[in-house]
Amino acid sequence: MLLFIVELFGYTWCRVQCIGIGYEIAGETQNHQKLLKWQKHLMVELARLKSPDRVVRIARTKLNLVMPDPKQIVVIQ
Amino acid sequence: MKRPKQKNVREKKAPRIKWRMILVGVFLTLLYGAVGAKAVFLHVVQGPWWSQKAAKQYQRSMVTHGKRGTIYDTRLREMAVSIDTTSIAAFPASVVDPPKTARTLAKILKLNPVRLKQKLTSKRSFVWIKRDVAPKDVEAAKALSLAGIDFIPEQARVYPNRTLAAQLIGFSGIDGQGLEGLEFLYNDHLKGHMVKQIVMTDALGRGFDAEKQILANYSGGNLILTIDRNVQYIAETALAEAARTNGASSGIAVVMLPKTGDMLAIAHYPFFNPNSFEDYRRERWRNRAITDPFEPGSTMKIFMAAGAIDSGICTPSTIFYCEDGRYRLGRNTIHDTHPYGWLTLLEIVKYSSNIGTVKVAESIGRDILYANLKGFGFGEKTGIACPGETTGLLSSATRWTRIDMGAISFGQGISVSAIQLITATAAIANDGVLMQPRIVKALTDNNGRLIQSFEPRKVRNVISPVSARTIRAIMNSVTTEGGTGVNAAVDGYSVCGKTGTAQKIDESGHYAKDKYISSFIGFAPCESPEIVVLVILDEPKEKHYGGLVAAPAFSKIAQDTLNYLNITPEEKLQPDWNRKMTLAKVTESKK
Repeated sequence: MLLFIVELFGYTWCRVQCIGIGYEIAGETQNHQKLLKWQKHLMVELARLKSPDRVVRIARTKLNLVMPDPKQIVVIQ
Repeated sequence: MKRPKQKNVREKKAPRIKWRMILVGVFLTLLYGAVGAKAVFLHVVQGPWWSQKAAKQYQRSMVTHGKRGTIYDTRLREMAVSIDTTSIAAFPASVVDPPKTARTLAKILKLNPVRLKQKLTSKRSFVWIKRDVAPKDVEAAKALSLAGIDFIPEQARVYPNRTLAAQLIGFSGIDGQGLEGLEFLYNDHLKGHMVKQIVMTDALGRGFDAEKQILANYSGGNLILTIDRNVQYIAETALAEAARTNGASSGIAVVMLPKTGDMLAIAHYPFFNPNSFEDYRRERWRNRAITDPFEPGSTMKIFMAAGAIDSGICTPSTIFYCEDGRYRLGRNTIHDTHPYGWLTLLEIVKYSSNIGTVKVAESIGRDILYANLKGFGFGEKTGIACPGETTGLLSSATRWTRIDMGAISFGQGISVSAIQLITATAAIANDGVLMQPRIVKALTDNNGRLIQSFEPRKVRNVISPVSARTIRAIMNSVTTEGGTGVNAAVDGYSVCGKTGTAQKIDESGHYAKDKYISSFIGFAPCESPEIVVLVILDEPKEKHYGGLVAAPAFSKIAQDTLNYLNITPEEKLQPDWNRKMTLAKVTESKK
């Protein structure tokens, strides 16, 4: 009888743990999805920041860079 | 004395107890029988119905919409991406205090409060308030906890480079369907899959064991283009500058790799932003480089010259009399911009003499001219993977009159698309081999694994390599001193090219005197061409010659693109290459 009761409690504990961990996994999965969405937003933002229009504007106005003249190009053999 | 009396009482009660016990026994038997019968009824007869009812309480239907795939440029930089967004909707019947709700929401979402109030008081069961709302606005609206207002997750298409290659890529609608350009043509590959699944939920409605479904990827496939974002930017910037400077109504610039047929840029002016495509007129959405035919004008002279040389009838030094600027052809008179006497074939192309061109065309005959133009792909689709490609117009040689043949030889009475013109020119740059223009490099699945790759495809040999080199030498002369395309010269590189100035046909069907299409087509470097560039400007205002209007834009695009592609300037490699590539030498090799 004692063995049966211990087995019953053991089984119940396992089931409770299983369900609890199931909820934790579901929560973490949702969190993962949120982070993936955020990552996607950041990727779009990065693509926007690296757009040639913006890069050229910053290079020309803030950094005073110019396209090299062919005479300035040194070919390394 | 008491005992016998008690015994009598017991004897009298015994049958009654017995009856009671029987009654209780029967009652309990009937009760258990009824319970058993009910159990059998519930499990056997009504079993499926109850099972369904129970399932409805712990199972939930979940619809998953996969994201639309990404469009990348040739270096895997994002050109079109799908992101998750939230749209705000309302159930008007459930909205408490519509005027106050309208005022509050309108302030956050920057909407008209009167119109919003009308929506919230309408008799419809569901109304959209705003689609694709910015995340901070969603958070602010959620914080208000307004009754009858719902936040619906959706997906939005974002074009991070805004106007860049907009006409080529096209756009997709709010329902995720491709509506224009490559978004339309490759809609089946790009669109995400919609999957309906059943997930287990607990008493609080929380999903349980649903992570497998959530983690599964139902996104659409990706598209990798041959377009290079930076070259596209170079082309669009130079085109816009040329169009604004010359007051042109529109323009097209195309950059192509002659060896593979890869399109590096297809630029259109004026631009439109696909992120808000509905703010622009439909005419701006069209990929005109593919869909719109036009009369090319003098750029066609190079193909006429190619036919003359490849057929062996002419050499670059064959001379023709150019009638001092006026040549009568039946009832029509052909004019040159400047009067010329005797000119060689090279000079006819260099100075862009219409009369000389007609004379050359007459010497080779209509059949050779027609076969040559067909060989270069005029009058048929190139097969580029873009929707709505035009075939252009090249009527059968059997229907040509003498004036038709003359006009076609210098680019009138024939219409071509920009993609046909650049593909044909690329064949000259590619030693006479016509390549199919390639815009899509590969299709990949949602994990980036290759599904299909599109390799460069040779269409046919149009002219011999020797003839192609001869034509290159002739085209090189156009950009040297005295030629019509000197403004197309590029520092550090030799350039082969041809100018084009074509009168447009007005509403009455006659050539308009003040409406032109100015163009320049060319490639560089001459000896081993790496890029072919075409610039077309529609209805420039003050100047209209291709050499003055389109050639400078060509020069800018070619210069920056060659620099970007790390093509070593020829001066650094072989300072005297130009001398080596003299016409005499080419003519000699031809012999």
